[in-house]
Amino acid sequence: MRSGFLWRNRVLLTSGVLLILSLHLISAGVHPGDLAARPQSAILEIISPVDAAFTHLSDGASSVFSDYVDLLHVRDENKRLRDELARVNSDHARLEELEAENQHLGELLELRDALGTDAVAANVIGSDATGLSHTLIISSGSLDGLRVGMAVLANEGVVGKIIAISPHAARVLMIDDHNSALDGFDQRSRARGIVAGVVDYGLRLKYADRSQDIEVGDTVVTSGLDGIFPRGLLVGAIKSVRRQGPGLFLDVSITPAVDFRELEQVLVVTQAPPHLDDLADQAKD
Amino acid sequence: MRLILLFAVFVVLGLAFESAVPHLVSLHGLIPNLIIILAVDLGLRHHGVLPAIIAFAMGYATDALSGSNPGVNAFMMTMVFLVSHEISTRLMVANAFVGATVVFFAVILTALATIAFANGFNALSDTGPMLPRLMLEAAISAIVAPFVFAMLAGGKRLTGLPARAARE
Repeated sequence: MRSGFLWRNRVLLTSGVLLILSLHLISAGVHPGDLAARPQSAILEIISPVDAAFTHLSDGASSVFSDYVDLLHVRDENKRLRDELARVNSDHARLEELEAENQHLGELLELRDALGTDAVAANVIGSDATGLSHTLIISSGSLDGLRVGMAVLANEGVVGKIIAISPHAARVLMIDDHNSALDGFDQRSRARGIVAGVVDYGLRLKYADRSQDIEVGDTVVTSGLDGIFPRGLLVGAIKSVRRQGPGLFLDVSITPAVDFRELEQVLVVTQAPPHLDDLADQAKD
Repeated sequence: MRLILLFAVFVVLGLAFESAVPHLVSLHGLIPNLIIILAVDLGLRHHGVLPAIIAFAMGYATDALSGSNPGVNAFMMTMVFLVSHEISTRLMVANAFVGATVVFFAVILTALATIAFANGFNALSDTGPMLPRLMLEAAISAIVAPFVFAMLAGGKRLTGLPARAARE
């Protein structure tokens, strides 16, 4: 039996079946609630506490490092004073961190009040595992009321939307990812387009007509037409506009308002923005 | 079963490292791709149906924490396993240098394939500015690979698994 064709080529055949299965997953996609989405949710649930632990360890390590640097300057003092100084410095560093976090959360609360919608604050605990896509892992999940497709914001502007969820964690596709797209417009000229990420870093305003009046420095905001992001949220500023070459559309690049690499806390909008038809009905009433 | 458990532990630690560290320390995305290193080790040193399934599962686990196209990493990890397996069985070599070389090319090809799968092959023309960073990341992964192979070999010895391919 071991000399048979199937046995001799078992690795090749198994790999072939698995490659076809992978291609099926790529082409069909995995939707929330699918059987294929469950292992992914489980993996996110397993990894998120480890990510959170890494974050705590990092905070502790930076505190220890700052204590060590401080101690080098007071080498001549006696041990009791050094211990005391280390403790005070450690407390101070922790308080400063708490103060910064409180300020950030306070600003997020102000943003939530300004939006007038229900929202949940969450900590960022991880980023994309391969670095090829621009995604984040946040510390809140379905048990906190989050769902796939919800908008994620920061004080500075739009961050992205939730693409995967587990009970205690969620993954966010950032707007600068090459698979991301949202409806936006130039606040000055009202020129509309699709804000999309690029393969490397940055944003593009796609499908903006060549006749549109778009200038460098203009502010780009969300239109609310995509049904995910509330209208009027800051996306970024126009970085460059190119009209050269053939084609119907402008080549517009945008500097994002949010520094995606520095994100620590985000706000998830748990209430869907009102649909335009509903707004029209309200206006009629 | 021991092979599954050993690789499950390495995958969880590897994925947690890859997702947490870039968020905590600014390394400009230059993190070794540990999952590809694990897939190469599987291909070079474990010849059978189970290692192929483990490679697919590792890719699928990576898909849970990376990108928005599930299946891409599963496809690429299976490919990396298959190529490593073929190198090991046809060239009769499975040493750390060969492993590191396979890792180097696998990191670059996996990145390009991920972009092509997500955006179509036209998007590959936009990858020019990314290539230096990609090469550096591949080089870092290749340098780290022998150490990961050694750690895996230690884990295999601890669990009573063969640390090297039979023909090595």
